[in-house]
Order: sequence, then C-alpha cells, then structure tokens
Amino acid sequence: MLAEPTVTVAPASSASRFIRRRVLGRTRDQAKQERAVLILHDVTKQYPNGKLALRDVDLVIPEGDFVFLVGPSGAGKSTLIKLLIRDEVATRGAVVLDGQDVARLGRRQVPKMRRKIGIIFQDFKLLPSKSVFENVAFALEVTGTPRRKIRPAVDRVLALVGLSAQAKQTPSQLSGGEQQRTAIARALVHDPRLIIADEPTGNLDPLISWEILQLLLRINELGTTVMMATHNAEVVTALRKRVVALEEGRIIRDEVGGAYHRED
Amino acid sequence: MITFVLFSVGRAWQGFWRNAVMSLAATATMVLMLLLLAGFWIIQTGLLAGLQFTEQKVEVVAYLQPNATVPQVTALQAQLKAMPEVASVAYVDRDQALVRFRASMQAQGREDLTRYLDANPLYASIEVKMVDPSQVRVVGDALRADPSVRNVINIEDLVERVLTVTSILRTAGTVVLVIVGVIALFIIINTIRLAVLARAEEIEVMRLVGASDAFIRWPFVFEGAFVGLLGSLLTLAILAAVADPLSAFMADFFRVLPLQFGSLTRDLVALVMGAGVGLGILGSWLSVRTYLIR
Repeated sequence: MLAEPTVTVAPASSASRFIRRRVLGRTRDQAKQERAVLILHDVTKQYPNGKLALRDVDLVIPEGDFVFLVGPSGAGKSTLIKLLIRDEVATRGAVVLDGQDVARLGRRQVPKMRRKIGIIFQDFKLLPSKSVFENVAFALEVTGTPRRKIRPAVDRVLALVGLSAQAKQTPSQLSGGEQQRTAIARALVHDPRLIIADEPTGNLDPLISWEILQLLLRINELGTTVMMATHNAEVVTALRKRVVALEEGRIIRDEVGGAYHRED
Repeated sequence: MITFVLFSVGRAWQGFWRNAVMSLAATATMVLMLLLLAGFWIIQTGLLAGLQFTEQKVEVVAYLQPNATVPQVTALQAQLKAMPEVASVAYVDRDQALVRFRASMQAQGREDLTRYLDANPLYASIEVKMVDPSQVRVVGDALRADPSVRNVINIEDLVERVLTVTSILRTAGTVVLVIVGVIALFIIINTIRLAVLARAEEIEVMRLVGASDAFIRWPFVFEGAFVGLLGSLLTLAILAAVADPLSAFMADFFRVLPLQFGSLTRDLVALVMGAGVGLGILGSWLSVRTYLIR
C-alpha cells in the first residue's frame, strides 16, 4: 500500500506575521497581498564546464514556511543557495525573491536584495578579529546604517539568540554553538524575509545542534521564513516539517511533514 | 556622503593596523620600488642635462678675411641673427683672440711664444651658437657663402656623429626608465593585491550581508592611498637623507655639468608622491574589482 506524499503549500499564519511585526519592528504595508517569499520557476543551472547542477526546478516557499532542503552531496543544494543570493545566475528559468526576479536586478539592486536574506554557514564565517557585538554590527555598518540605530538593533538580536552576556568576547573565546548563534544574530540583524541556513549544524555535536535548531524554529515562529539545507536525518525526521529532496539537480520529493528519507 | 567618507577612512585606518604585517610589507615594497624609480629618474635627468650641455657646446667658428670691413661684418652678424637656427652670434676681434690664446697657453702651462712676434697673427672670428645643433650645416653653408669669411672650421661631420650618440643615449635612457616604471607598477599593484587577498573573508562577509560595492571598495581604496602616501613619504625621507652626499658625488663626478637640483627636487617630489598614491589607489581598486564583478 503506497501513500502518496502530500504536496501542499502551507499558508503563513497571520498571527505569526503580527508577532514578527511587533518583535522585529517590521513596518511592512499591512494591506500588501499575501505572497510567496521565494518562487523558483523551471530553473536550470548549467556551469560553464558543462555540469548540470539543477534541472527544471520548481519551488514555491510561502511566507512563514520552514523548509528542510535535503539530498546527497552534489545534488544541487549549494547551487540552489547560490542562485538565491545571486552569486550565480540561472541558465534558464526565473528565481523570484520577494516579488523580484533576481536575474533582472541591476548591479546596484543586488546588495539591497541580499539584505532581505540572512545566510548562515556551516563554518560560521565570523571575523576573528572582531567581538561578537562588532561581528553583528558589521552587517549594519557596511550597509550604511546610521550609527545611532546600530546599537539597539544589535542588542535586540543578541538578546534574541541569548548572547547578550558574550557581546564583548571574540569568536575564539566562544563555543561552536555560541559562534553559530552569533552568525544567526548577524543574519537576523537586517530583519530579513528569508533565513537560509547551509548545514548550520554540520560542525556541531548533537546536543548543540538541537539548540541551534530550536533557535531557528523560534525565529520561524516569530514569522521569518527559514530554509535549511542539511544532512542531519535525525533532526529532519523528528521535526516533521516540509522537506524538499534534491537528487542530481532535480526535486524528487516535496512533502509537508516529511522525514529525511522517503517513507513509502 | 560625509558619513560615508568618514566611515571609509575609518575602516581603512582600522584595516591597515589590524593587518599591520601585510600593510607594512606592502609599504616596504612600495618604498623600494619608488626608490628604484626615483634613482633611475635622477640618472635619466643627469644624463639629459649632460647631453644638453654637450650639445650646447656646439658652435660654428668662422674666421674672417683680414680686409673685411666693419659694415660687412655687421651685416653678416645681422644676417646670422635673423636665422631661426641661431641662438647667439659673437664677434671676436683680433686683439680678443690674442688675449684668449695667451690665456689658454698659460692655462696649459706652456710658454707664451706670441711675445716674440711683431704683429698679431690671429684672425678675427665670428662664433655662432646653435639653437638646434643638428642644423649646424645650414649655418656653416651660410657662412662659407659670405665673401668676408676666410674659412669655417668644418665640424659638421663630428657634430652629426655626436648627435647620433646623444639621441641613442636619450632613447635608451627613456626606455630603461619606462621599463623600470612598468616593473614598479606591477610589483606595487601585486603587493597590494596580496594585502587585499588576505582579507577575502571580510569582503565575502560584506557581500553576503548586502554591502553595496561602494561600501566594499572605498575603504580598500583609501587604505591603498594610505599605503601609497606612507610609502612615498618614507621614500622622500630616505632621498632627502642621501641627497647631500649624492649631489656632492654627482658634482664631483660630472664636474663640468651645471646640474640644477632645485627643479629636480620639485619634480622628484611630484613623481614619488604621484606614483606612490596613484599606484596605491589603482592597485586596491583593481584588486577589489575581482571580488565585486561576479
């Protein structure tokens, strides 16, 4: 007996958007139509060396969603992420982020688009010579945020990730989990529409991994859309969130409440 | 705008000192290259001054007939002065010629034999200095055509040979200077590139958090300018320290050359500062560009 995997698109709860607006101070036009944060339409990416990294990928991620992106190494997860932050441009098809086709953005618009995405990596990518506070503030400084607005914004996200006490320490003085939480704070400080986590628990032990997961879930509950690429089968299967599985550049499975592996 | 400039300068200053080893290595390379460039430039300037001095020495001497009249000589002088190739015309009468001859004999330590003579055996002459020594033949021919001229010392062949040598030296000097300049350019730009490369991580983070190109580029450009400024100031300090012994040596070596160090100093400051700051900016601009265009 085979159960068809249910492929549905969960609507974002208006309650979570309300909370998000209150907590993160978003001043978005409330009358704005409900829309998907991310749409990939028939996306194919072929690298100059001829390698087909993605083939005809269709994906819609509505606001407030929590999506696991799974699949073996080389399945196209990294390419997908590179397309979202416009490190690469799709060979065919459209990548639409928050209503904008990223391929059509001019050079000047790309940085502004990237501020709508908070990205977290396996290796944290913190600057070793800066303190926790400075690492987070850096994201605002280099985007031209007025100085007086930086401190309150940084303090707020550090409180959210629970690192207020460690603000003055440098990354080398922190544990792996604390470093990743610093990276999450930095990703959040622009109040992004979408958090992309690329193997965020890859370098962390299981207990700390759960801590990071819980933090991401909490951020999601506050209304931010989260997309997490991972190999961590235990976490994916336990949480029963939406799972998008890639293999050889194709989406082979997209189910809400799925497990890491196919269950049929 | 002002906030942006302050931010960039502040970050440049921070970047310089947080990567002190890299920045100082870049500055040291800059100093060495600028010294090399300045050294060759000084040599080139000395060479040019020497060549010009040699060329100015070229003069056409025409001895006059003993029976040439004053109006004839005056007319000849006027005719020569009117020629565009001629810088100046001097008339040396027989008495002056004798005085000069005696002085030169004395300077060589030889006995003055003219006092045994009853009359002055020398001819009056016209000495013509040239604007452009390569036109010496034109002036020589004009003099030979004049009836009051007895003979013209034939220096044309010699002058042409000297001019061939000087023009080769000039070209060679310029070529060497250009080659040294290009070498300095590449080494300085590459050194700054290395310093930027060491900060690739920081640039990557800036891109990921959505920093605009200007916010990524300008701190590095200011830092490059700062390296250039520091490098050229150090270079000038070193040059100033060695200037006195060096110019004493130069004066000693060339002895006869009237080298003007006043204008040399001004040009040298402009060259070193311009090359230092310019290459610092260019180097960082190009290096950061690699990260921005994707």
